Amino acid sequence: MSARVGSANVGVIVFPGTNSEEETVRACRAVGLEADAVHWNAPLDVVREYSAYILPGGFAYEDRVRAGAIAAHDRLMTAVREGAAAGKPVLGICNGAQVLLETGLVPGFAGASGPQAGFARNAPSGKFRSTHVYVKLTIPPERCTITAALKPNAVIPAWASHGEGRLAGGAATLARIAAGDHLAFVYSDARGNASEAVVPNGSALGAAGLVNAAGNVLALMPHPERDAWTFNHHDASREAARGDAAAMLKPSGGIALFESFAQAVRQWS
Amino acid sequence: MQTLGVLGVGEAALVSSLREHGLALKADEMQTIAARLGRDPTLVECHAFDAQWSEHCSYKSSRVHLGRVPTEGPDVILGPGQDAGIVRLGAWQGESYGIVVAHESHNHPSQVVPFEGAATGVGGIVRDVLCMGARVIGLADPLRFGPLDDSHSRYVAQGVVDGIAAYGNAIGVPTIAGDVFFGDGFRDNCLVNVVALGLVKEKDVIHSRAPAGSAGWDIVLVGKATDRSGFGGAAFSSLVLDDADAQANKSAVQVPDPFLKNVIMRASYRAFDVIRELGLTVGFKDLGAGGIMGCTAELVASGGFGARINLDLCPTTQPDLPAAVIAVGETQERLTWVVPPSFTSRLLQIYNEEFSLPEIAQGAQAAVIGRVTEETEYVLTRYGEEVMRVPIEFLTSGIKYDRPYAEPEPQIRTLTMLVPEDPGAAKVGAEWGAAELGHNSGRQAYHNFNTLVPFDDDLPYRILSHRDVCSRKIIYERYDSVVRGATSIPAGYADAGVLVPIPGSPLAMSLSLGGNPRYGAIDPALAAEHAVVEAVCNAAAVGARPLGLTDCLNFGNPENACDMGAFVASVNGLATAARELGLPFVSGNVSLYNQSANGNSIPPSAIVACVGGLGDVSRSVTPGFKGPAHQLYFIGEYTGALGGSVLADVAGLPPTNLPNIDYARLKKTLAALRNGIEAGLIYAIHDVSDGGIFTVIAEMAFATIDGARIGASVCLDARRDGIPLEIGEAGAYFGEHRGFIVEADRGFAELLAEDRLIGAVVGATHHRFDLRVGADVPVRTWKLDDLYESWSAPLRDFYEDVPA
Repeated sequence: MSARVGSANVGVIVFPGTNSEEETVRACRAVGLEADAVHWNAPLDVVREYSAYILPGGFAYEDRVRAGAIAAHDRLMTAVREGAAAGKPVLGICNGAQVLLETGLVPGFAGASGPQAGFARNAPSGKFRSTHVYVKLTIPPERCTITAALKPNAVIPAWASHGEGRLAGGAATLARIAAGDHLAFVYSDARGNASEAVVPNGSALGAAGLVNAAGNVLALMPHPERDAWTFNHHDASREAARGDAAAMLKPSGGIALFESFAQAVRQWS
Repeated sequence: MQTLGVLGVGEAALVSSLREHGLALKADEMQTIAARLGRDPTLVECHAFDAQWSEHCSYKSSRVHLGRVPTEGPDVILGPGQDAGIVRLGAWQGESYGIVVAHESHNHPSQVVPFEGAATGVGGIVRDVLCMGARVIGLADPLRFGPLDDSHSRYVAQGVVDGIAAYGNAIGVPTIAGDVFFGDGFRDNCLVNVVALGLVKEKDVIHSRAPAGSAGWDIVLVGKATDRSGFGGAAFSSLVLDDADAQANKSAVQVPDPFLKNVIMRASYRAFDVIRELGLTVGFKDLGAGGIMGCTAELVASGGFGARINLDLCPTTQPDLPAAVIAVGETQERLTWVVPPSFTSRLLQIYNEEFSLPEIAQGAQAAVIGRVTEETEYVLTRYGEEVMRVPIEFLTSGIKYDRPYAEPEPQIRTLTMLVPEDPGAAKVGAEWGAAELGHNSGRQAYHNFNTLVPFDDDLPYRILSHRDVCSRKIIYERYDSVVRGATSIPAGYADAGVLVPIPGSPLAMSLSLGGNPRYGAIDPALAAEHAVVEAVCNAAAVGARPLGLTDCLNFGNPENACDMGAFVASVNGLATAARELGLPFVSGNVSLYNQSANGNSIPPSAIVACVGGLGDVSRSVTPGFKGPAHQLYFIGEYTGALGGSVLADVAGLPPTNLPNIDYARLKKTLAALRNGIEAGLIYAIHDVSDGGIFTVIAEMAFATIDGARIGASVCLDARRDGIPLEIGEAGAYFGEHRGFIVEADRGFAELLAEDRLIGAVVGATHHRFDLRVGADVPVRTWKLDDLYESWSAPLRDFYEDVPA
């Protein structure tokens, strides 16, 4: 659990209740990053050494009060906030995205402190749902350091696996999110067509991911790390790899976001 | 110290004092205990024996029969006997890997408090896998509910799914398989079976027993602080469910804490790493039925030791909990270690400091509560006084009954016996009876059946919307089937779930289920064989080789000769199928007393899970059509029996015989599949089961990838294909023929040609999204969008309708 100063290394923050640290670390390593799962009682000065942070999926602090609410105030978040302020790349996935909205780091409107929007209970069912989705990049790639190496309008496969993923906010807030290029990803089909029919949770603006004003903190509800190897896929690429073990075990699909993240981490460190 | 008067007490007085103390033990069992101890037992001892000698813990009614099931084979690392079985998956980078599998029921609690009952069912089975030293990597849930027009069944069906989702999702273990059946027989007793899977290196297996030479070692209790929840759980599970009792027994149901479990799992993984580094041999066991007493007694007894436990050292949520509650209460999220004293402080440090259990949940921690002893007595102390001292072998070996049983009379009435000479005189449904039996064969039988059960345009919709056929998507989307990132085929995508559990290795494993309650009601023995065969065929359909089986045997009251007879017949059926297929059972569970107070027992329900292995995940197969102009084959065996089929239910046919199983032919069929996959000729496979060939082909069209809209034409010709005539046209398309529909290249026909018995082309895929049937022009056509809606709607509407 020791951070290596000066190298491109990522702290994958594990709160009590986090459950996706293993695959998140694996995805980082697949794109050449060094990554550690950093537990909630790690010394703060060790956590500060990392070049970048990922807040992975799970149910931090049992989603008490609401998803992300307690973890946003966890001791380790001090290091994450400081890092974000210094420009380190910070990626929150699913529960991690909920935490980032609870801290107010995302969307991070100028002058705002505390949460400005939230991921509310899915609509209409109000229930946890796990379903395969695609997300489309809707900002110019360079608007966010973490997406800078993606192609414009990139479409990434992922799994939406959450009970609280519906972007909710007042009309003024939603307008400000759209106007400020905070809406990084929307749900789409495999070809990049966005429509209400492909939004799994009733999210406002069809939002799947939001970025902060400075462009270094990204909150993404679906999990690209769960569809990041060919054997995870159910599309033509799986068929093309039939009978070819090496092709089946290759990183692909959702790994694209981690490749772009890796470039951001290397640039920062 | 309080004792229970047994010696010299009359039977009637004893029965009433047992009832007064909430003990389920029978008077004669209590007398046996007192006689062996040579004194009246203490109250703590009474509760200990009550748990340990319960049906749930002791398998007292079932044990004499279970030995008939084969448990050995070349792929077995660990057979039944410990908390879970282990099969060998294969070697990777010089290490042999095993798949740990455990299978249990949580039926009684789930009927009473569905959410907590189902959640703690998942929690318990996860601990069974964890304590083998394994990473927990997968879950599956076979469920049986009453009809959804019944209000309590609706409540149960909703709560159980919520409970499984809440627990499995939070601990971060993917649910990769499951099934659901509905029926009147499950109105008063739902079935919630749970299967958990783990991954472990063969050399790192930890056993649920005190290791050799462990006398004097520490016994360390880990987890949630003991509270009053789950007191009497084992005994409760071994009683007939009575409405009034059910309410009173709610306190016997445990309280789940998946949040704490998530942390305990991760801390235990850390402990495994340290134990491996230090080269220690230790014991580790889950606390289930019988609580601290049940766990520690079995842990040390299986190593040939005794134990001395100080109940004062067990962390509790409140002071002065009664000794019996601490001893046998089934507070959740607890495990017990047996470790050398030199390691104890390191182990405590991992749980209490590194993973800070006391900060995760009030009172949660790891604590030394006693030690392993050389003497073979099991001793509990409370406030310095011995509250229990019994010979440990007497406590843990339980009792055994060879209960009287009545051999079931399987339904042997065949369709030809049902269909009268003059079909015009026939009556459908209950009015069909022996008086109208006729004996027909050939074209006349075909014609007769077509008159009685016509393959009309509406029939496909009635089959696809049947409660046992329609889409389960609304349920499996409630479960996280992809957490851990190792899922290659999630729940609901194919006949089995598939994981790639070792990062970097092409080794994959499958998990599939079998067990059809419609079959169980007709012929328990043959239904049990079908359960094995179905689980095995489901594994084969994704390209896996079956490695091992588990079972959960859910039956009614063993004190009733008919229920006991159905149980015995089912065990025989499982044994027959396993022997024929050369497969071992490595783990299992028996759940009896699934009977309500008014005497209704569930249909005999032997539920089987199959763990399969794939040497190379790139050889895995999914059921969705992959392209147009591919040939469709049926390979397997057409049956002339419709007993237990969805078609029989939809048509209102009275019970008739089940399909027979021709094992020689089945083995050839499985070999043909393997060869086709190996040769790269196969695009898609779907096992034929509920709803028959038409249903399977429709489901393959629904499962196409990338939103492609590929349909199919299919033509079954009774004469050409050798389909028994007495099932008519509807029976050909909707009968539950044992076999597979395969989308393949033409080369597959050549491969099959060597053995024409096995199968032949029955259709082809095409570019229109419809399903075309028949050879005559014009063929009959169903739009797949319409069929999809019919298939999707029933459960979706139910689960979306119910308020959150």
